[in-house]
Amino acid sequence: MNNKVLLPLLLFTIISCSESFNIDLSFGDSASDSINPGIDNAFASTYAPMNSEPILFKSANIYDGLGGEFRNYDLLLSEGKILEIGESITAPGVMVIDATDKWITPGIIDIHSHMGVYSAPGVSTSSDGNEATSPVTAEVWAEHSLWTQDPQFALALKGGVTAFHVLPGSANLFGGRGATFKNISQNTIQAMKFPGAPHSLKMACGENPKRVYGNRKKAPSTRMGNMAGYRSAWIDAVEYTDGMDEKNSDRRPTRDLAMDTLMGVLNGEILIQNHCYRAEEMAMMIELSKEFNYKITAFHHAVEAYKIADLLADEGICAALWADWWGFKHEAYDMVQANVAIIDQARNGTGCAIVHSDDAVGIQHLNQEAAKAMAAGNRVGYKISKAHAMRWITSNPAKAAGILDQTGSIEVGKDADLVVWTGNPFSVYSIAEKVLIDGALAFDMNNPKIQPITDFDLGIIKPQDNRVQ
Amino acid sequence: MKRLFTTLALVFFTATTLSGTVLLKGGLVHSGNDGAATVQDILISENIIVGVGNNLMIDGNTRVIEVNGLPVTPGLISPMSNLGIVEINALDVTRDDESDLLSAGFSIFNAFNPHSTGIPWNRSNGITSAISTPSTSSFPIFGLGSHFVLDGSLEIKGSKDIAMFGRLGSSYGSRAETLSLLESLLEIGKLLKSIPVEEILEMTIADKLELQAQDIIALGKVANDDMPFVIETNRAVDILQALAMKKKYGLNLVLASVEEAPMVLTKLQESNTPVIIDPMDNIPNSFDELGSSLDLGRILDQAGIPIMFSTQRSHNYHLMRQGSGNAVAHGMSYETAIKGMTQTVAQTFNLDNRGSIEPGKLADIIVWDGDPLEPASFPKIVMIEGRLQDLSSRSSKLTERYINKEDKPSSYKH
Repeated sequence: MNNKVLLPLLLFTIISCSESFNIDLSFGDSASDSINPGIDNAFASTYAPMNSEPILFKSANIYDGLGGEFRNYDLLLSEGKILEIGESITAPGVMVIDATDKWITPGIIDIHSHMGVYSAPGVSTSSDGNEATSPVTAEVWAEHSLWTQDPQFALALKGGVTAFHVLPGSANLFGGRGATFKNISQNTIQAMKFPGAPHSLKMACGENPKRVYGNRKKAPSTRMGNMAGYRSAWIDAVEYTDGMDEKNSDRRPTRDLAMDTLMGVLNGEILIQNHCYRAEEMAMMIELSKEFNYKITAFHHAVEAYKIADLLADEGICAALWADWWGFKHEAYDMVQANVAIIDQARNGTGCAIVHSDDAVGIQHLNQEAAKAMAAGNRVGYKISKAHAMRWITSNPAKAAGILDQTGSIEVGKDADLVVWTGNPFSVYSIAEKVLIDGALAFDMNNPKIQPITDFDLGIIKPQDNRVQ
Repeated sequence: MKRLFTTLALVFFTATTLSGTVLLKGGLVHSGNDGAATVQDILISENIIVGVGNNLMIDGNTRVIEVNGLPVTPGLISPMSNLGIVEINALDVTRDDESDLLSAGFSIFNAFNPHSTGIPWNRSNGITSAISTPSTSSFPIFGLGSHFVLDGSLEIKGSKDIAMFGRLGSSYGSRAETLSLLESLLEIGKLLKSIPVEEILEMTIADKLELQAQDIIALGKVANDDMPFVIETNRAVDILQALAMKKKYGLNLVLASVEEAPMVLTKLQESNTPVIIDPMDNIPNSFDELGSSLDLGRILDQAGIPIMFSTQRSHNYHLMRQGSGNAVAHGMSYETAIKGMTQTVAQTFNLDNRGSIEPGKLADIIVWDGDPLEPASFPKIVMIEGRLQDLSSRSSKLTERYINKEDKPSSYKH
C-alpha cells in the first residue's frame, strides 16, 4: 500500500557536482582563438556593480582568505575595490564603520550550486538542472536554465555568499556548461554573470549516469559503459578541434554546440568540474584526461578523495567536498570527517581543498561546514588554523572557478566582495551582519532596505507583506 | 600515528563494561532540565545515575573520571531517524523502512539492525538512543516508530511502536482528501472500543483502504490510548486543521516541520502541542512552506512551545546539534536547545527513564570537548546505561588507515 516516495532523494542524487581549477591550462595543442569569434562572446556578462561610496572599516579582525589573520586592522574600500589594508588608515571624508570585535572575511564562494536551475519551490516546472535525455549533453549551458527570481539567492547572500558557480546536474556523462555568478539578483541572467569568469564543463562518474540510462536499457548502464562514453566523445572532440584548425574554412567541420564545449576544454578555456565519488574512478578520470590531453580542475562530492590525496595534490586537482554527508548512496559510503583536511595537508600542505554545498541550506552555512572539517582534521593530529581553513570557502573555490585574480581573498586591488561577521565565523553563533559585493552593501542585517526581496517573495503569502526570510 | 590517536586510544582503553560505581567529576552539567549549567559531579551505580552534586559520598571502589569543567549533557535522543533500518538510501535492498502490505500498523521494530554502520557513527557523535520511523509514503500514515538504544547490542533494547507517523500537505492529491482519510482512519480506530478487530476488518471501508488487523489495532492506540501521533505538516492552515483534529479526537499530537507555525502561534500555544523542527531549513521548498524562516526556533521558544529537532539529511542525526546551535544564534534559548535534544524528546515520547541528568535516570551521558552546540565540538566520553562506549566507527577506521603513510597497500594497513 505504501509506495515509498524518494522524490527528494532522487532529485538530489541526480544532481551532481563539478568544479574548476586555475588558469595556465593551455594544454590543448591547437589554440583556435580566431576561428569562431562569436562563440566566446555569446551570452557575455553585462554585470555592473551597484553604486558604492568609499568605506573605511576600523579595528576589524580579518581572515584574508589566503591563510593570513590580522587583528585590529583597518580596511579601506574605494570604487568597488580593496584599496588599502593596514593597522591605522586615515581617509578623510570617507564613511567609517567601526568593526571592533567583528570579523571580516572575503565573500564566501560556492563552487557547486544548483540555485536558479533547481529553484525553490522545488516543483517540476523549475526542475531545469539535468538535460537527462542523452548521456552526452555538452551542448547545454546551465545559465540558460537560470531563474533569476529564485529566492535561494537572497538566502545564500544572507549566509555571506558573494559568488557561486552553477552547474548542470550529474545525470549525464557530460552534463553541460556551468557558469559563475555574482550574488546580486537581477532580472536578466547576463546581468548576474561574473564578468570574465570562464565556463566549466560538468562531467559525472559513477552511479548517476549508469542508473539514469541503465534504467532505460540504454548505454551507459555500467561504469565501463561510462568510460566508453567519455572516450568516444573525446575522440570526436579531438577530431573536431583539429578540423577547426584548418586554415581553409571550407574544410572545417560544421559547427556543433557540444563539440564547441569539448573543444573549449581541450583548448584550456573551459574548466572541468567532475562529479566523482570513488577513488579508483577519480584516478581513472585522471588517466582519461591524459589520454586526451586536457586538465581536470576539480573533483566534486569526492567522498573518497582522501584515499588518493597525494595523487590529487601531484596533479594539481582540487577536491570539492562536504564536511560530513554520507550514506545516501553506495558511492558515498566511505565518508571520513577528515576528508577536507587530508586533501588540504597532502604533499606538505599543497593540496587544494574546497568545502562546497550542492545544497540551498548548506550554502548558507559554509563557514560552519569548514569549522567541522577543520576540527575533524585537528582531532587526527593536523594543526590547521582557522585562518588557513578560511581558504576552503574563499580563495580555493575562487581558484577552481577561475576567478581568483578578481575575488576570493582580501588583497589590495581585488573586488571588495566581503562579509562582516558578528563574531568569529567558525562559531555557529556568528552570523553575517553585512555582505558587500564590489564595495556595495548587498545585505545588512540591521537595515531591511538592504535585504534583497525577489519578485517571488513579494506579497506571496499576504499581499501586504513580503515572504519572511 | 599513535600520537595522532591519543584521544581515541584513551577512550578505547576504558571502553569496557564497568561494574560498580563511577564518578564523573567536575563537569559543567547541562541537566536537560530548565536552568543553567553548573559544575557538578555525577555518581553512577551500574546503569543508573544515583547522585548529582558537589560533595557526593564515594567509597574506595568508585572509579573517578576527571571531567575538568568540560560540558556534560544527557545522551542525545533523535526523535526522527532511520537508524538501524536504512543502511544506504539509494539501495532498496538495504532498506527496511517501508511496507507494501501495511500502513498505520507497519512496525519497523523487528527490522532494526544493531550492526548498521550508522549506529557507531551517530553514537560517537553523541546520539545514545533514537526513534526510528517508517518512511514517507503515498498513504498519509506511514506506520509506527520505535525507540532504540544505540549500544550496538544484539540484545536489542528499546521501546516498540511508541508513536505513529503521518503527514498532511501537498504531493499526493488534495489535502482535503487526506484530511478526510485521516478522519476516517481515526473513526475506525475509535470503533475498536466497541467492536472487535475481526468485525472491523469485514467492513467495506477497511476493505477499500486495504487495512490489515495491525493497522486497525495501531489506529486504536492513537484514537483511544493516547499514543503520540506525529504529523508532518507545514502550511499555516494545515497546522490549524491538524489542531482541530487533535481537539476532535483527543489526540496526543506532535507536529513535525511546521515551517509556517509562526502564523498560527496562538492556536499552537493553546493546544499545548510539541513540535519537531529543522531550524536550518529556511528554504521555501514547496508552496506549503512559503513562510519558512531561520526565526522559527526563536518564535516557538518564546511562545513556550516544546521543541525537538530533526535534521535535513539522513545518516547524521547528530547534526541536530548544529541545527539547534543555529536556532540559538537566531534567538532560541540555550537551555531550550539542550532540552530539545534530550528531555523534551523523552517527555513527548514517554521515555520516562532517560533525557536528563538526575538521580534515578539511566546513565546516558556525554562529555563534550567543547560547547555541544558548536558543530566543531565532539564527544570525549559517551556513556550508555552506565557503560563507556567505544568511540570508533567505520569512519574512524578509514581515517586511521589513510593517514598512515607506511609504504604498503592500504589493504595491509590494519
